[in-house]
Amino acid sequence: MIRFVGLSKSFGSKSVLDGVDVSIGKGEVFFIIGQSGVGKSVLIKHLIGLLRPDRGEIYLDDQEISRLTERQYFAVRRRCGMVFQHSTLFDSLTCIENVALPIRKHKHLGKKKALVEARKRLEQVHMEEFAETFPAALGDGMRKRVAIARTLTMDPEFVLFDEPTTGLDPVSARRVDVLIRELADRLHVTCVVVSHDLTSIFSIADRIVMLYKGKVRLLGTRDEFRRSADPVVRQFITGSAEGPME
Amino acid sequence: MTESLVQLEVAGKQPGRVSRGAERAVRRIGRSVVGIAQQTGGILVLLGKIVRRFFPPDIDYYELKRNLHKMGNRSLPIIALTSVFVGAIMVVQASAYVQQFSATAFVGWGAGYVILRELGPILIALMFSGRVGANNTAELGTMVVTEQIDGLRSLAIDPISYLIVPRFLGMITMLFVLTVFGNLVALCGAALFGQLTLGIEWRVFFHGITELLKPWDVYVGLIKSLVFGLIIALSSCYFGLAVRGGAPGVGRAVNASVVASAVGIFVSDYFMTFLLD
Amino acid sequence: MSVEAGVVKAGQGGQPGWAARRLAGIGAGALDNARAARLLYSIFIRTLYYSVRGRREKGAVLRACYGIGNRSLFFLTAVMGFVGMIMVFHSCTQINRITGDLHLVGATYIQLVVRDFAASVGSMMLATRVGAGIAAEIGSMVVTDQVDALRMCAAEPVDYLIVPRFKASVVMTTVLLVWAMFVMEVSGMLTAWGMFNVNPRIFWNLSMVDFRDLATGLTKCLAFGAAIPIVSGYCGLTTFGGAEGVGWATTRAVVWSCFATILLNFIISTTALYVFWA
Repeated sequence: MIRFVGLSKSFGSKSVLDGVDVSIGKGEVFFIIGQSGVGKSVLIKHLIGLLRPDRGEIYLDDQEISRLTERQYFAVRRRCGMVFQHSTLFDSLTCIENVALPIRKHKHLGKKKALVEARKRLEQVHMEEFAETFPAALGDGMRKRVAIARTLTMDPEFVLFDEPTTGLDPVSARRVDVLIRELADRLHVTCVVVSHDLTSIFSIADRIVMLYKGKVRLLGTRDEFRRSADPVVRQFITGSAEGPME
Repeated sequence: MTESLVQLEVAGKQPGRVSRGAERAVRRIGRSVVGIAQQTGGILVLLGKIVRRFFPPDIDYYELKRNLHKMGNRSLPIIALTSVFVGAIMVVQASAYVQQFSATAFVGWGAGYVILRELGPILIALMFSGRVGANNTAELGTMVVTEQIDGLRSLAIDPISYLIVPRFLGMITMLFVLTVFGNLVALCGAALFGQLTLGIEWRVFFHGITELLKPWDVYVGLIKSLVFGLIIALSSCYFGLAVRGGAPGVGRAVNASVVASAVGIFVSDYFMTFLLD
Repeated sequence: MSVEAGVVKAGQGGQPGWAARRLAGIGAGALDNARAARLLYSIFIRTLYYSVRGRREKGAVLRACYGIGNRSLFFLTAVMGFVGMIMVFHSCTQINRITGDLHLVGATYIQLVVRDFAASVGSMMLATRVGAGIAAEIGSMVVTDQVDALRMCAAEPVDYLIVPRFKASVVMTTVLLVWAMFVMEVSGMLTAWGMFNVNPRIFWNLSMVDFRDLATGLTKCLAFGAAIPIVSGYCGLTTFGGAEGVGWATTRAVVWSCFATILLNFIISTTALYVFWA
């Protein structure tokens, strides 16, 4: 259970989030959508303490976490994994070493055992044949899969995906969608997905929040989203250039 | 006092070019002073964070080993090359005087003294800062720009203990080792070139070193190399982590880091020259 | 490289041995170096050609002069001031230990400064400051495809990017290094006066500086001033691969322009020794 209460954040004079209230239930696939630059990624980065709010509170299972110190945040981050938009695999490590790093650090295993465990994790995302490759040599879709494997090594209860399908070809994108849905259904992991990929939204989302001008514009299920009469939401769905959106 | 204030105000209101220029110059000096103070403060804060990771020791040994290997391997050839030429240049510069006073017995002492106490540690540190320090800044800067540091934090891994501490320890250790090695190579280069141009027997050359130099002369150079290592490590890590603004930002950071290291090396060398005499 | 490795592999019917891999590595390295040297040489020649025949953009050289000169002035002054103090401190303590006769320190010191130290230490500082700057600027342009855009406009990158910096660097390096000589002399004089009680009038003794020292020193200034922008421009133009690439290019520029000044210093010093003093 994640709850944002009255969250506000501005960068310099530019206000990005302005009193956002959202709560995300356990085990659901929750989409955060909106135009580019509306603060979707900013919102989820607050949850794991990469950014700190100007005002407002964040609750993780009734614990207020937005004022924790960097060290205290480590406990939160073990429960909430994040898959970044550009995967952020470490260039200097091979794929398997990338996956083995959090295992080695958090499960206090030796390097050999960590590599064995990491290979299993790579098999889950069908990347075992690229284990010894450096990330720079892989395509975006493959990198994303390794990044997901790396995030899952900590067995998180929540996984945050920052635009998981952006920049992928349609087939890879749908594979990522399937992976996210399976995470929620089989492992009961709560998935928070930042996206503006309509296909993903309509195929796997349980609930959707749409941000517009720093505020929540719409919060509801897939069908509520589809049937919404709000002109801004309509414009987002139809993707027309003309409309009330700025 | 009040009068001069009024005058200043009047001068400010007039579109006089002199006062504008002066004002701009003062403002610029002020800004760079504030900038330098900010950087020094940032570097000290980073040092504090690093020191805290040693109590209790929280160091990633795999990363440390990897860094030591990489830093040593990468800089060994360039430091060997530099050292040979530095030794040779020392002898070339000395040769005019040596021929004038026919003081061949002192060449070994002179070259040894300058190389071991000053030139060896400084030049090796400068090359090390260009090779390893700059590379370190670039690597860390790239990791910041591509959000890899945030990636580490999101995996609940402390970037300071995983990334910075091994690099910090690695640079200090490697510069020390390379200075020992480079000093040796420079002395050999000087001996070789002394024999080729001045016809000084290498036996005479090394006799000058062993008889006229004290162990302390060697130790001074090595203590200096440790301090230089500390300076290079801190400035390269600080500027790497402070990168903003994509690829040009990384370039600027590398530039700032090597410049800061160079200034730090010479200023600290000046004070150590007094303190360690 | 892959072909060579393949041949070795086929010949041994398995993994190539340690020696074979080392050999292949050395061969590939040598080829790379030869290719780099040829490219460096071609950039040098093209820079010289366009310096004479190239198009002239108003203010480009002056802007480059400002970037190289004014923005290195403070840095160079600070560093060379400290170097002067360190050198005089060492000379005086050593002389005190042996003869105690300090009245020729100034004359010998300024001779060494003019002949070598101002140029060699100062140019290493400039190689660090200016070389890194040039490589970072050009490298960022390369990775953001601006250099290809230049080519599309039928502008030669060497003419457009390196030539103004080359001209500016030759002029400004000389000016800055002459200034460095002055700074070193003054800081040395103050050290000798304050710590060893040498009268400034005795210290300021130019009688030992003759034509040979001046010629050697100035040749070094010009040579270093020419080498730094060429080497770092080469490093900048061969950048590839995003932010990391720019970092790499800058690193290489610092190391190789420093090394170029040391190598040139060695060549010029040795030549001068045989021409003037032998």
